[in-house]
Amino acid sequence: MRQFLAFSKKEFHESAATFRLYILLGLFVMFGMMSPLLAKLTPEIIKSLGDTGMMISVHEPTSLDAWAQFFHNVGQMGMLVLIIVFCGTMSNELSKGTLVNLLTKGMKRHTVIASKMFASSVLWTFAYLLCFGAGFAYTAYFWDIGELPHALLAFAAPWLFGELLLATHVFGGTLFGNIYGSLLSCIGAVILMNLLSILPGASKYNPVTLSGGTLPLLSGAGKPSDFIPAVLICAAAVVLLTAGSIVMFNRKKM
Amino acid sequence: MNALDLRSVSKSFGGKRVLDDMSFSVPEHCVFGFVGTNGAGKTTTMKMILGLLKADCGEIDVYGERVSFGATKTNRLIGYLPDVPEFYGYMRPKQYLGLCAEIAGLDEKSAQPRIAELLDLVGLSDANRKIGGFSRGMKQRLGVAQALIGDPKLLICDEPTSALDPVGRKEILDILRKIKAKTTVVFSTHILSDVERICDRVAVLNKGKIVLESAMGDLKLQEKSTSFTFEFNREIATDEILRVLRENNLEPIKYETAEHTIESLFLGVAK
Repeated sequence: MRQFLAFSKKEFHESAATFRLYILLGLFVMFGMMSPLLAKLTPEIIKSLGDTGMMISVHEPTSLDAWAQFFHNVGQMGMLVLIIVFCGTMSNELSKGTLVNLLTKGMKRHTVIASKMFASSVLWTFAYLLCFGAGFAYTAYFWDIGELPHALLAFAAPWLFGELLLATHVFGGTLFGNIYGSLLSCIGAVILMNLLSILPGASKYNPVTLSGGTLPLLSGAGKPSDFIPAVLICAAAVVLLTAGSIVMFNRKKM
Repeated sequence: MNALDLRSVSKSFGGKRVLDDMSFSVPEHCVFGFVGTNGAGKTTTMKMILGLLKADCGEIDVYGERVSFGATKTNRLIGYLPDVPEFYGYMRPKQYLGLCAEIAGLDEKSAQPRIAELLDLVGLSDANRKIGGFSRGMKQRLGVAQALIGDPKLLICDEPTSALDPVGRKEILDILRKIKAKTTVVFSTHILSDVERICDRVAVLNKGKIVLESAMGDLKLQEKSTSFTFEFNREIATDEILRVLRENNLEPIKYETAEHTIESLFLGVAK
């Protein structure tokens, strides 16, 4: 436990010292703020385009448009930021050899993986909460929030998908031991999941659905059972990838 | 008790046999020079002692405890200085040693004086800037400090002087000499003068086997020679030396008075 806390503390220190923390928090607060602002301003922007001779019907934006924008921003730009910011988490340590000094002092290998996942998850959770808080505050400022059915599932889904990306980074980083391997694993996994979503009926089970696809829950067009299989598969994948990283790291030559 | 025993250790990478049925022992409280050319298998041997690489066959014991691949318990007895020690560049020396102390299981009360003691030993007490800006020599000295944080019984150094200038080399060798009383030191090198300077025992690794293992004193006395070099701790007139030799029926056919070596000149001006 002592090693876990010491190494996690080092991870947080590293995030601040390498500006990873500030980039992550800054961008996610921006995504959160932008969502209702964009929803509010889109009709104004379209109107300001002037008389182009085209008929464009624009309905008055609602809080649901703000949330649509929120899921769009978090599910695309947000996940891209997450992939880039965390790509060096494990791979940098292995390619630079910074773990050797600590491992030869009796640091448990599974503690390294557990600390990495823990520290990354705390940062991601904090960033996502700030993003949601900023989005919620601005949405409440512009509109009546109203009822948000199945809000917990709808808003926790992108967070869980983010956890999957973090676990993939740790897995890919451990497997390949360099930043390109880590990035390729993550991007490859996202491309594969997007390809699979083309199959009819697959989206119910596909974790990528959780990345910005849960708006129907809030609008009432979807029900939780449409997303629960994907949530379970995503959670299982996070656990399996973390366990796989530990098994692989235990066998890794240093 | 031996600090380290290797028995019939072999290791191959792909089809290439790097270590072939290698055996040697390191007695306690000595500085053990592990000599070999580049690529002879010195680093591989050290990594196997640390459980970072798996031996294909053979046994390795540290203070009588068997080493196993992965998280080996014997590492609590060992301090390791890699050939190029890598640190977190954003940390300062005290922060880094603090992390090492926590990982090694030192309590906070004993960690602070230990860190101060080690920084003093390696001459980094006043270096409070980020490690990223350290020179190679400073990093190597910090490497020694981190290796010693847990007060190890055995210190393993992988070519600690190879990449350093003469001043840096001398500093590292002086540190190793200082800690000899408390810690057994195994250090690999291909710089033979370093071995002569501080080692008590030496093993030579060639083509995966130990081809020579001996106490330094025995090694030097093993063979008769027609040529010798002596160094005295005071100035002596050449006539005085020749007189002593003749009194003992030894007539040199050639003698030279040593000029200042480039190294001694360098050390003199680079202080």
